[in-house]
Amino acid sequence: MKNSLKFGWILLLLLVAMASRAQDSSSLYVAQLLHPQSDSVRTHAIGRLVALRIPATFPLLMAINDKKLYLLDNQAITIDGKPSDEEKYRLHRVYPDTRPLHNSSGDPLLLSLSQLKTVDIPRADRLLLLPIAPLFNLYSPDAQKRIQAYGQLTDLQDPQVQKILADVVSKETDYNALRIGKESLYAIQLHTAKNEATAKAYIDSIARNWSDNASALLTAYGSGKAFNTNTANYAIEKAKQLESKYDNLQRIQNLFSGLSLGSILILIALGLSIVYGLAGVINMAHGEFMMIGAYTTYCIQMLFSRGYGDWFFIISLPLSFIVAGLMGLILERLVIRHLYSKPLESLLATWGISLILVQTARLIFGDLTAVKTPQLLAGGWQAAPHLTLPYNRIFIIALTAVMVLLTYLMLFKTKLGLQIRAVTQNRQMSACLGVETRRIAAVTFFIGSGLAGLAGCAITLIGNVVPDMGQTYIVDSFLVVVTGGVGKLAGTIVSGLGIGFFTKISEAFFQAVYGKVFILLFIMLFMQYKPKGLFPDKGRIAEE
Amino acid sequence: MTSAFFKNLSLFALTAAIGFSSCNQGASKSASTDSTATSKETVKIGVLHSLSGTMAISEVSLKDAVQMAVDEINAKGGVLGKQIEPVIVDPASDWDLFAEKAKELLIDKKVSAVFGCWTSVSRKSVLPVFEQNNGLLFYPVQYEGEECSNSVIYTGATPNQQLIPAAEYLMSEKGGGYKKFYLLGTDYVFPRTANKILKAYLLSKGIPKENIIEEYTPFHHQDYQTIISKIKRFAADGKACILSTINGDSNVPFYKEFANQGLSAATCPIMAFSVAEDELRSMDTEFLVGHLAAWNYFQSNDLPENKKFVDDFKAFCAKKGLPGGDKRVTDDPICWAYTGVYLWAKAAEKAGSFDVSKVRNALYSLEFNSPDGLVKMDARNHHLAKPVVIGEIKPDGQFDILWKSEGLVDPQPWSPLTSPDKDCDWVNHNGTYAKK
Amino acid sequence: MKTNNSSLYYILFIAIFAILLPAGHLSGFLSINTISIWGRYFCFAIAALGIDLIWGYTGILSMCQAFFFCLGSYGIAMHLVLQKTALPDFMVWNKITTLPFFWQPFNSFSLTVILCMLIPAALAFLIGFVLFKSRIKGVYMAIITQALTLAMWLIFLRNETNLGGTNGLTDFKTLLGFDLANTQVKLALYFISFTVLCLAYMACHRITRSKFGKVLQAIRDSESRVSYTAYHTVNFKLAVFVVAALLAAVGGMLYLPQTGIITPGRMDVKASVEMVMWVALGGRGNLKGAVIGALLVNFLYSVCTSWFPDSWLFILGFLFVITVLYFDKGLIGLVTTLRARIGNLYLKTAQTTN
Repeated sequence: MKNSLKFGWILLLLLVAMASRAQDSSSLYVAQLLHPQSDSVRTHAIGRLVALRIPATFPLLMAINDKKLYLLDNQAITIDGKPSDEEKYRLHRVYPDTRPLHNSSGDPLLLSLSQLKTVDIPRADRLLLLPIAPLFNLYSPDAQKRIQAYGQLTDLQDPQVQKILADVVSKETDYNALRIGKESLYAIQLHTAKNEATAKAYIDSIARNWSDNASALLTAYGSGKAFNTNTANYAIEKAKQLESKYDNLQRIQNLFSGLSLGSILILIALGLSIVYGLAGVINMAHGEFMMIGAYTTYCIQMLFSRGYGDWFFIISLPLSFIVAGLMGLILERLVIRHLYSKPLESLLATWGISLILVQTARLIFGDLTAVKTPQLLAGGWQAAPHLTLPYNRIFIIALTAVMVLLTYLMLFKTKLGLQIRAVTQNRQMSACLGVETRRIAAVTFFIGSGLAGLAGCAITLIGNVVPDMGQTYIVDSFLVVVTGGVGKLAGTIVSGLGIGFFTKISEAFFQAVYGKVFILLFIMLFMQYKPKGLFPDKGRIAEE
Repeated sequence: MTSAFFKNLSLFALTAAIGFSSCNQGASKSASTDSTATSKETVKIGVLHSLSGTMAISEVSLKDAVQMAVDEINAKGGVLGKQIEPVIVDPASDWDLFAEKAKELLIDKKVSAVFGCWTSVSRKSVLPVFEQNNGLLFYPVQYEGEECSNSVIYTGATPNQQLIPAAEYLMSEKGGGYKKFYLLGTDYVFPRTANKILKAYLLSKGIPKENIIEEYTPFHHQDYQTIISKIKRFAADGKACILSTINGDSNVPFYKEFANQGLSAATCPIMAFSVAEDELRSMDTEFLVGHLAAWNYFQSNDLPENKKFVDDFKAFCAKKGLPGGDKRVTDDPICWAYTGVYLWAKAAEKAGSFDVSKVRNALYSLEFNSPDGLVKMDARNHHLAKPVVIGEIKPDGQFDILWKSEGLVDPQPWSPLTSPDKDCDWVNHNGTYAKK
Repeated sequence: MKTNNSSLYYILFIAIFAILLPAGHLSGFLSINTISIWGRYFCFAIAALGIDLIWGYTGILSMCQAFFFCLGSYGIAMHLVLQKTALPDFMVWNKITTLPFFWQPFNSFSLTVILCMLIPAALAFLIGFVLFKSRIKGVYMAIITQALTLAMWLIFLRNETNLGGTNGLTDFKTLLGFDLANTQVKLALYFISFTVLCLAYMACHRITRSKFGKVLQAIRDSESRVSYTAYHTVNFKLAVFVVAALLAAVGGMLYLPQTGIITPGRMDVKASVEMVMWVALGGRGNLKGAVIGALLVNFLYSVCTSWFPDSWLFILGFLFVITVLYFDKGLIGLVTTLRARIGNLYLKTAQTTN
């Protein structure tokens, strides 16, 4: 009894000594890493740290992996998230412990990158971290990263990994991450399960949790690692179920893509449709108003380049509307008003205008430019496992919905809208009844161009800003207008969404190009039955 | 009515014909009057880069680089005692117009050499013109190979000078030991041929067929949602990378969607063959950091020649008031467009003549100390031997050089992987010949 | 008196293009390049005549003429490629070992010529039948045909279609055994294009003066009234659409050997709008306008891209806008108005002096 107690003490002492030795050696390697005498010393140090897998070094390794390791007064630090208004970052010590840095008055310390010394770790060395990246990413403050890390844990048989995992899962706060973390634990237990009922229970749990590699895990288990055929078959069947569930989710993803594409088309076609309906003008320069909106966003971003976070984008939304709208107004006064109800002539004149606008943009801005995505809209919403819906696309869908609603209210609930609809139906008659048709036309053109500008602003979220960006979308948006029936709000929405969905669904079966060809042929056939679009005018105004 | 029309048409045609001829003759006349006036003889070269249309984004910088090289050479006294006079035209990204302008430069303007083209199609379009009229085209962009024209000096990379080293690097332990490859490109001849060669290479290295996916999108494709979901699934179990030959304005939506769907360089790096510093110049690089690119030259190259070249280029752009000014960057095609002018000048000096055949012969094995270090023309064909570099994108839009070939890599216009029986030799053979 | 005058100017027009220009070349004043460039403009002018027939005279804005133009070019190009090699080089690269079936007929020149006209005509008939039958007109017609051209452009860009993808077809050596690089051959092609343009002009002139042509113009002015008077308008529209497609295809066929390359770029959105622009600028509803517009716009395009590489788009853009705004009958309309004014002025001065 006494012996065993003594033995226990010795064991404990030994463990403590080993741990402190490990700690010591890790601090040695960290020192070598931060101030290497040679490249090979640094490579060796990283190799050792990877082999040792000491949680205390994980924040440091994470900083290396993210290329965010800096030195300040010989302390290894990393930067916290996004910069503040003056491009300054909050700082965080990463070794030997993690804590935020404060200045003398106790406020968080803010410094710009130039005040820090970058620790350059070559990519080859960083790649050494890859095998244990999932392990240290478990400690990341970013839940998204933890989720990914749980999914990527491989050597689950390793007791050290199991211990870390159990430890992290017990502290996990994020719902999704917790679910996936738990699953990794289930997997460990599944592999060690010794009877059929327990194994099946764990298979069920894994299937219920359904993480990124659940089906791969179950298939692997079923085809070899299972201890009897019964469980093996069960696991494989569950994996198949997950696969088919996954396929269903893919369909949802496709539908979402369709919705997103459709809403972009609607946003562009909305202005086009209103203008065409009212003024009988085919505005080939409509895409260029989009380009103007996009460049407005770009310019505002340049003005705001020092800080203000996402404000630049919020300000860009109304401003791109106004700038493009004003340009539209100028154009209307100078050129378009001579071309009312001459659709084909207006097509040619606006084509000329579009050439001029494109070349002007090219001379001013020169080349490929892109707008930074606002912080709020970066990344995506994990709607379900395997289903990420990017925020920028959700934002565009929402923006489209709002704009459609506002346009609807404007057209059907205001006096202006009433006048617009009147002029759309019969210009002479409205004029007789005292509607100032010229003013109404100008206002409509302002709104139509503004909507295009807004669309341009939204498109900076997903694409780039180039002088001829408008021409990428112009034919598509015309198709939307034509399919929906010109000047018809409902038609534009239905045909925009229809074309969006149809394109994305066909893209799942054909390559992108054939999807597009297919939809064009489909529209041609559709026009056989509805030559004036989905919602044609009825009655006497229908003719001409 | 009718009479009025024909009278006017005839008058118009007459003036037009005369106008045209005077414009054609005018330039050469002005050159000759110039020479008598300043008693300084000039030699004309053509610059055939699109200044408008879709390709302007890439090609304008090359025109600037050529102009800078010309200014430098002129400042040092010109070539063979003659000042270089560049004739700049705009083929407007219109492939038919490329052929027309090439004819104009060679036949009417009688230029000694032409520096131009970016896309394969523009090169293919002018190729017959150069061959029929014994012209010389310096082509500065990486291309798909499988061509061996006597009239083109290819200063850009052949597939083995860019594609193969990149794939090799990704497969190596140092590069990450990737096992699955997604070959994604814009649908035209360079990506198609590049991927054909890459696929043959990967298969020869024992990568199973199901681990290689090939996909193409049309020009100006903007919507990468579907493709990224496919990639996500492909890369779910790790060890996958993307070899991208996506061209031009499709890159921004591609990288943005890639990041937004939760992928990153750490999980699935993109090795790009058509993204260089100039494209990154004003892009939002946040999404791009950590992704890779393979070229023969990066601005971050720390040779003293390069430092001077970069500074000179910035100063040149600022002085000329070009868009971007001193924020301009150099990149691979800019470097080779610049080098091309010097190679031509050096060859002309060596040959003691501007005669195309003599210059061509003088080019064999010609060495030049380019911004990228010493490069050497091949001894048997019209390609350039140069180093291969692989870089990683930094937040400032520059590249960290990860790997550099030891010495120069010899060009192979016919890839031994896809055309083992062919080679290109203008010294002992007549261009492309069948190897025994 | 008037006919005399007219034939005098016919002779002057022919004299300039058939004698003066070639003579200028032979005397060394004009290079063969200039001659070839004018030869190419003639091909555009032939296509423009077709556009004028369908748009100017019938009021149907068809944006797929560029596609028909390309079909003609591609047909001849396929023949020329097969003259050079049994298997086009891009197919060798794409590891295709046998010639695809649709390439086979292009081995024979006569079959090529027939197909180059038959295919566009048949396609025009099909497209026209579908569109006119369902009474698609005006803007709908313009957008749908534009979308169709876009779809075809996308298909031609693909490599799987075995038409050379983005690079198109290029590097031709001989046509019927004649060396295309030869100056004499180039001159001959110039003359052929000129002759075909004259013939096409005469044919179109006859069409517009015929009863058929009168019905077309009636359709343009009010289609419903024409159909009330028991004319089957669909047939008329279909016929003129096929004729226009044929003219475009013939233009394309002659264009190819003089240019030496055909790529899908010739039928992208820009190209198809520009073709309509020629006619708009010259004066639609007037065959002379179509010819003059095609010649002038292309001449300006060639010259401005060399002379003003940075600003030529402004020049063309403003030209388009101003033409549409102020000269809705195009240059021809402008000339007529000016002549009338000058005539009036002359009359007035004559009266006052009297």
